[in-house]
Amino acid sequence: MAASLSFTGSARLLTALARSSALYNSFESRSFHATAVCCKNRAARIRIGKGDKPLTYEQALHPHQIAHRKGWLSQHASNLKGEQGAAERTVEDVFIRRFMFGTFHGCLANEVVIKRRGNVLVVCALMLQKMPPQKFYFFIGYSESLLSHFYKCPVKLEIQTLQEKAVYKYV
Amino acid sequence: MASFGSKVFLLLGRTNVSGVGYRKTGNRATYATALTVNSSSTNKARGGKGSTGRRPKRGTGEPRTEKMALDQDWTSVYPAATPFRANAVPLPLRMGYPVKRGIPPEKKGNLELIKIPNFLHLTPAAIRKHCEALKPFCTEWPSALDTDAKCDELFPVKIQSTDYVSAGPSIRNPSARVVHMKVKLSSLNLDDHARKKMLKLVGDRYCKDSDILTIKTESCPLRQQNYDYAMYLLTVLYHESWKIEPWEAEKTRADMEEYSWEDSTSQKNILDTLLRINATGEGEEAEVREQLLGREEVLEYKDSVETLKNEEPSESNMLRYKEAVRKVLKVWQ
Repeated sequence: MAASLSFTGSARLLTALARSSALYNSFESRSFHATAVCCKNRAARIRIGKGDKPLTYEQALHPHQIAHRKGWLSQHASNLKGEQGAAERTVEDVFIRRFMFGTFHGCLANEVVIKRRGNVLVVCALMLQKMPPQKFYFFIGYSESLLSHFYKCPVKLEIQTLQEKAVYKYV
Repeated sequence: MASFGSKVFLLLGRTNVSGVGYRKTGNRATYATALTVNSSSTNKARGGKGSTGRRPKRGTGEPRTEKMALDQDWTSVYPAATPFRANAVPLPLRMGYPVKRGIPPEKKGNLELIKIPNFLHLTPAAIRKHCEALKPFCTEWPSALDTDAKCDELFPVKIQSTDYVSAGPSIRNPSARVVHMKVKLSSLNLDDHARKKMLKLVGDRYCKDSDILTIKTESCPLRQQNYDYAMYLLTVLYHESWKIEPWEAEKTRADMEEYSWEDSTSQKNILDTLLRINATGEGEEAEVREQLLGREEVLEYKDSVETLKNEEPSESNMLRYKEAVRKVLKVWQ
């Protein structure tokens, strides 16, 4: 009942504010917090355009194709029934993706694939040949040692380089 | 009033983010460069500028698959579990859903092939090598233990526990502390009273068909502690079942595990019936009862009633009872 009242009230207020362009005063209020809207029918979907934008296989297939035409970017045993630690592994994955995106800035050709084999974290990435190999080696070593120290487990990077991105289709 | 105002602000804020932020989140979610990379143009530009100090960029050589001999040692190409490398696997693989009127994408730059676990490191040759390397560390099974019966006889107490492996930095798993201890009661030295008492103490943990007592301990936090507790329980059960407490003398007919026909209502009933049938009245009652008990039909009746009560009722048991009753009461068809 309170919600319906507030809705009608806010509609009237909105119009009133729009007309009078009243300034917003900070009142002592308790309101609920909402994050930015993230519609599930818009997530990870690149909409069809003119036909000049190249897409990789990963970008072209939408999330509902996972387990049908796409695999998983990150696999670990914690998502099985009765296993612990799923949340920790997910947070680790998110951090590792951001880390790779930032360290190899502009070089990532495709998404980062994370595999866990027992204790070892294997991070597989496809890169473009934007830097000389020496720089690549330095970044690989730096990432491996930093992530190993951070997660207290051996981290291996498997980097493969390409001349250009593997285009699946143009959209 | 205050709540309305703040709600309005929230709405405005939300629309803002959704309008501009979509593109941003789209980029960030994919973590791959959205720009089309024209590597040749940027290289030429760089080469033109810094040609004085810089060595000309080496082109990428041909993939390793071109240089592989047909009879190479594959175990050295993939010695351990590694993700798929398109330049190191000389197979013309294609993976993915094909584009309309097209074919699946090739292996170069194919993320799907990298995502899946591969078994390229487990060819028969590789497994043979592993076995050969492990052989010096293996010992033979003792030749004296060649049958299951001998194993059971020499090692009657069997302990079972599970180890768990998972992908993550921690090797601890709380379900690894469970210990199952199995022992056959026939291998324990129990007399009749001790066996019956043990069965009463143990209850559900005993399986009649296989004569195995299973004790599952999981109350302690460590497996070693649970194992010690299980052994302690077995010891205590054994010693307690041999002891005879003074209150055990009060065991009534209802506490008995099996049905016994002596001094039961069935015996009383049949003897009364027979006495009344043969109401000759010769001799004392006790003598006549003794005589009746010795008769063959009565003994057969006793057997059939005991099997009916102790075992599960079946067709043959019921028929046997019917025949016995007919013979005792001399009712022939």
